[in-house]
This record gives sequence, C-alpha cells and structure tokens, in this order.
Amino acid sequence: MTDQLPADRGGTAESATSLEPWEVFRQEKEGDPMRHGGSVMAPDAVLAVHYAREMYSRRQESVRLWVVRRADIHDLDDPDLLQPPMDRSFKKPGGYVMREKLAAAREQSGRAKPKGKAK
Amino acid sequence: MTTIRSALVAPELTPELRAALDGLLLSMADDEFVIGFSDSEWTGIAPMLEEDVAMSSLAQDELGHAQALYQLLAALRDDGHDADAIAYDRTPDEYRHARLLDHGRGDWAMTVARRYLYDTADSTRLEAVASSTFGPLRELVEKIRREERYHVMHATAWFERLAGREGEPRERLVAALEALGPDAATVFTPLDNEELLVEAGAIAEPMAAIEARWRAQLTPTFVAHGLPMPPTANLADGRTRHGEPFRWLWNEFTLVRRDDPVAAW
Repeated sequence: MTDQLPADRGGTAESATSLEPWEVFRQEKEGDPMRHGGSVMAPDAVLAVHYAREMYSRRQESVRLWVVRRADIHDLDDPDLLQPPMDRSFKKPGGYVMREKLAAAREQSGRAKPKGKAK
Repeated sequence: MTTIRSALVAPELTPELRAALDGLLLSMADDEFVIGFSDSEWTGIAPMLEEDVAMSSLAQDELGHAQALYQLLAALRDDGHDADAIAYDRTPDEYRHARLLDHGRGDWAMTVARRYLYDTADSTRLEAVASSTFGPLRELVEKIRREERYHVMHATAWFERLAGREGEPRERLVAALEALGPDAATVFTPLDNEELLVEAGAIAEPMAAIEARWRAQLTPTFVAHGLPMPPTANLADGRTRHGEPFRWLWNEFTLVRRDDPVAAW
C-alpha cells in the first residue's frame, strides 16, 4: 500500500486528501505479541478497521488487529541518539563473560549444569 | 448435525410445504447470487484500493451464501440437478431475486444505497429464519449471520459517511435512494403459501411482519440524516418482473456456463 493514491482512483482532490495512512498490527494467535502487518489508507478509524480486516484477516491469519493513525506515531531516527559514536560494547551482554563465573558458582554449590531448557 | 436428507424427507413435509420451502430458499439464494455478481463488478475499479478488496470480498461472501443455499435447495428437490444447474441454467424470467437488486451497478452511491437497503433487509429476514424448524436451514443461517453482521457494519459506515457529507456525496446518495427506494421493500414480497411456512415454523413471521421490523430499525437512521424512508413497494411482481439491467447481468454470469456447460472452474 502506498501513501499516494494512484491517478486512476480517488476521484476529486478533496476526497483524496481525506484519506490517510493507518498502520496495522496483527496478532497471529492468542498470547503472541502484536506485530506490524502493513498499512491501509482510510478516511477514519472505523473504515481503517474494516479495511485492516479485509487485508490482514480474511484468510484467518489474525485473531486480533490494531490500527493506529500513522500521524499519531512519534518517530525517532536520529543516528546521534540511536547509534552513538563511542564504544558501548560494555553495555552488550558479550562484554560481560559469565561462563567462568557460572562454572565456579556451580562447583561451589556442588550442583551440576541444569539439563534441558532453562526455565 | 441434522442431515439435509433426513430433515427434508420428513413425513410431515407435505407437497405444499415443500413447494413453499422451495420458494423461500430460492428467493434467499437468488438475492445473494444477484447482489454478489452485481457487486463483483467493482473488482478493479472501486473508488480506492482498500475498498476494492473489501467490496470484492463482500461479493464473494454473498456468492458463498448463494452456493450453500442452492445446495440446500438441490437436496430438497433431489431431482438430479445440482447447485450450479439451479444457479445458471434458468432464463432471466425464472430468477426470483427482489427487484431492489435489479437496477444495475450504477455509481458508488447506488451501490452503497443498495447494499445498505439490502443488507439491513436481509439481516431482518435472517433473524426470522434463525430459529427455523428446518434444521439444515437453521444451521446454515447461523453461519451466514456471522458474516452478514460485518456486511451491515460496512454498509452502514458508508451510508452514514455519504449521508453526512453535504454536497456531492449526499446528493448522489439521495438520488440513489430515490431510484432504489420504491423497490427496497420487494425483499419482503410475500412468498407463495408463506402461511404454511409460518405454521410449520420454517420462518417466524409472515414477510409483512418482517418488513415492519425492518422499517422500525431503519427509521432512526433515516430520521437522523433527514432522508426519505423507502415508500411502500408494489409487491405484486416484486420478485418476478426483471428489467434490462438484470438481463445484461444474466448474460454476463451465464456466459461461460452457456458456452461450455461442463467446464471445470
């Protein structure tokens, strides 16, 4: 879905300007997170929901839909804020080696390495 | 689940009642079939892409309902003709859809007005067969109503938007209502022997009573928007007289079937 109406649709300029993009989030099954599915053009929330239903659930691929007016989404894409120039490796998990410390702690408590998936 | 055969060959199904039930199923199926084909004409040319998908999907729903009703009818008749034969192998005069659906596609306002008038009428009619004593019909209608609920929501959303927008949207809607209004109530054209259907519990009420319910439901919306309520319809030939627009549509939807009756598609 593009933000611009194709030239052969939309009728008058006035009706075209009343349409705006809505972002659609869908949940695939109960308990799943809401994931971005795509967007629809609609003049208001009611029709946005109807169109989201047609685009993102008519093949039973969603159990819940959210629509959010794109204009209501606040954007942050500043590289100085999001990708700082200094070394931040100490903030990453890889910067803190746990393996030896864990092994030592296990030995001390006399417990074997837990089998299977951690809870 | 009641089997279609066991319910429809029940000994209490007299020839008269069977014929009346035939008429009820045929009228419901033909309504869904014709509006489904009519609305599918928007595929590719609806006012916007999203609406194109929505309207095409609604049209498919209606054809799906028609197919299920024709299958039920084929089982009732049990004469060797399947649902496709009933759907496609008739002359235009033999179709029993309401004249409301006989006006051609028209512009978007015509389609919105027709969908609104038909969907609200259909939902009132479905309510009247929701507790039908005929198990297979009751079970089918239960499923159909779950889809029709959305159809009414969609039609209402568009109807209210056109009605509430002064200028061209409202003017076109008013013109569409003037054209369709006089035929709106033909959905409630009395069926042959419908008193037998009511007596047997196949439908809850006669069509006239269902029409009164429909009018009571429509009135607040029409009053709120200052629109003229559909007048009383001439029901004498509400489902039997079909005009040129339907002949054109019939020619379209029977084209493949007439060209190659055994085509698989």
